[in-house]
Amino acid sequence: MMRGGRLLARLPLLAMVVALGCKTERHPVPSPEPSAEVTPPPSAAPPPVAAKVAFVPGDAAHGKKLVEKFECSRCHMGTGFEPARLDQNCVTCHQEIMAGTFGRNAPATERARWKKTVADYQDAPSLAAMGDRLEPEWVMAYILEPHDVRPTLVPSMPRLDVTEKQARDMATYLTANRKPAKKISPIKGDAKKGRRLLEDKSCGSCHLFTGVPDLPMKPDPKEATKETRAGTVLAPDLRYARDRYSPANMVRWLLDPKSIKPDTNMPAHSLTQADAMSLTAYLVETKLAPLPPKPIPKRLPVLDRKVKYEEVDEKVFHVTCRHCHADPDALMGDGGPGNTGGFGFPPRKLDFSTYRGTMAGYVAKDGERHSVFEKMKDGTPRLVASLLARQAEEAGKPIPDIRGMPLGLPAATPEQIQIVETWIAQGRPR
Amino acid sequence: MKIAKYIGTRALVVALGAFAVVGTTTTDAEACGGAWIDFEMLLDFRDHGIDQAEEALEEGRYEAAAGYIIRVMPHVRQLKASSSPEVRRALRVLSVATARSNGQLKIDREVQSWVMGQKEWMGKKSEDRANNLEWAINSLRSIDKVKKDDPVVQTELAEALAKVDAHKGEAREILEKLAKKDLIVSAEGYAVLAELRAEKGDSKGSKLAMDQCRKIDGESTVCGTARKS
Repeated sequence: MMRGGRLLARLPLLAMVVALGCKTERHPVPSPEPSAEVTPPPSAAPPPVAAKVAFVPGDAAHGKKLVEKFECSRCHMGTGFEPARLDQNCVTCHQEIMAGTFGRNAPATERARWKKTVADYQDAPSLAAMGDRLEPEWVMAYILEPHDVRPTLVPSMPRLDVTEKQARDMATYLTANRKPAKKISPIKGDAKKGRRLLEDKSCGSCHLFTGVPDLPMKPDPKEATKETRAGTVLAPDLRYARDRYSPANMVRWLLDPKSIKPDTNMPAHSLTQADAMSLTAYLVETKLAPLPPKPIPKRLPVLDRKVKYEEVDEKVFHVTCRHCHADPDALMGDGGPGNTGGFGFPPRKLDFSTYRGTMAGYVAKDGERHSVFEKMKDGTPRLVASLLARQAEEAGKPIPDIRGMPLGLPAATPEQIQIVETWIAQGRPR
Repeated sequence: MKIAKYIGTRALVVALGAFAVVGTTTTDAEACGGAWIDFEMLLDFRDHGIDQAEEALEEGRYEAAAGYIIRVMPHVRQLKASSSPEVRRALRVLSVATARSNGQLKIDREVQSWVMGQKEWMGKKSEDRANNLEWAINSLRSIDKVKKDDPVVQTELAEALAKVDAHKGEAREILEKLAKKDLIVSAEGYAVLAELRAEKGDSKGSKLAMDQCRKIDGESTVCGTARKS
C-alpha cells in the first residue's frame, strides 16, 4: 500500500476535528443497550446552553492529566501540551494535505482526492488563554454536553466519555490562567448603538448571531480566501457569547483580542471603551428568539433491491467509518481511535476496513466482543442505532446510552442509513 | 571454454568494481535512491504484495494469493507472527490459502522454483499436504496468540482445524462459540460450521448455518456443499 495512503487512512482523526475541548457522557454506560427508544421524536428544543451556576473549581493538576488522556491536542492547539504527531493530528495533517506539503510525491489524482475529503476538516479553535476569555462553568458544561457553537465549521466537538468531576477538573485546568476582571453590573452601554456597531463593523461577515434580526452580512466559507477561511469557520455564533464570556471579559476581548490571545483570527476594530460597552450590552441583553427546531430526519424504509457489501463500503464505511475504525496490522499498528483507542476511549478493536473486520464486532464496555448487528431493545441493529444517535445529537437530543457515530462529524444521511439497514436486513451479503 | 571463463571472470570483476565505486560514494540513505532520483520511494513492495494477496484471497484465488506472499517473503515459513504486522498479514493469507486448498497449493505457475524454496507447498504427497495443514494451523494459532480475541483469526483457525480429523472437535467448539454471538466473519466459516454440525447429526443446526452462509455468499460455490446435511 502507498505510504501516503496509509497515513491518509489514519487520518482517522479527520473524523474528529473539534470545536473546543472534549466532551462526555455523565455516567458510565453499561454495554450496548439503550434504555429507551432509539429514535426520539423530533423536537423543538434548541441545543443546550450552559446554565448559569457558580463554578466550584476542581483539581487543575488532574484536569491537566485528563486533557492529555483525552488527547485534546489531536485537534486543538493551546492545550499546554505539544501538538500530537502529524499522523495523529487531524488539523495539522489536513492543513498539510491542503497546502500540498503532505504526500508531495503521491500521484496528483490521489492528492486531489485527499483534498476533496479533508477540505472541511482543517480547523479547530485554539484553547490558548481560555481563562481570560471563557467562563469556567460554560467550559465545563460544554465538555459535558457539546453543541454546535460554530455553525459554519463542519466538524464539531465529539461526545467523549467524561464524568462531571472530570469535566470540572478539565475546565479548571483549561481556565487556570484567568486574570481577575472587574465585575460590570449593570452594563453601562447602549444596546441599540451596539447593534449598529455590529452592523457597521461587518461582524456578520464572520459571525452568525442566531435569535436576533439578521445581520446585513452572512459568513460564507465558500467565498472565504485562504487567509480568511479559518476566521470564518471558527467564528462562534454570537448567541452563545453571553454564556461563554463575562461582560468584563467581553469588553476586554472586543477592545484588543490579540492582546489576550495572539493567535486569534478576531481583528481589533478600533473601538472606544464606550463602543465595546455598547456592543457588550447588545450581545448580553438583547432578547434571543428560540432556535428553530432541527428535526431528526425521517428514517427511511429498507429498500426492496439487493444491497451488497461493496455498495455499503463505498457509500458509508469507506466514506467515514474506516478512518477511525481500521485494522492496526494494515496501518503500522494504529487502527485509529475507534480500534486501537484514543480520545480517552479504550481499544474497541472495531474494524470497518474489510468485510471480515466488520463482521468481527467490537469490544464493548463489558470487555466482551459483541456483534455490531446485535439488536437493541427495539430491534434496531447496534450499528444503525449509532448512526441514528448521531442524527439525534445534531438535533440537540443526544441519546444517553448510545454515542452517535461518526463521532464529531456530520451524521450519516437517511439514504446512507437506509443502505446499511437494508444490507443488514438482507443477511449482510458479501 | 577457457576464453569464455576468462571473459565471465572479467565481467564479474568489472561489475563488482562498478558496484564498489557507487556503493562507497553514497550514504545509506542515498543508497536507497535518494542521491540519484528526485522522489521518495512511496511503495513498500512487501505491503503492496500483501495487499494484492489479501485481495486475491478474498476473491478465492488461493494460488495467486500464496504466490504474492511467497514472492515478497520467500522465507515466510520461517517467520514468527509476533515479529511484525506485515508478517502476520502474510502468514494469515498463506495459512488460509493453504487450508482452503487442502494443503495443496499449486503455486508452480505463480512462483519460480528457486523463489519457492520448499517444494512441499505443492502438496504433491499426502504427507506434504498434512504438513502444510499443520503449518497453517500452527501459524493461525500463533496469530491468535498475538491478536487475542479476534473473530477473524478464530474463524479462520477453525476453518483450518476442520481440515484435520483430529482437530474437528476444537474447530466446532470455536465456531459454535462465535456463532452464538453472531461473530463468524465469513461464508466459509458458516460453511464449515454447517459441515461440522452435519457430521455430528445436527441437521437442523447445519441447515441454519448453511442458510446464513448462503445469505452472505449466495452466488458463490462456498455454500454449495454441506456434506451429510
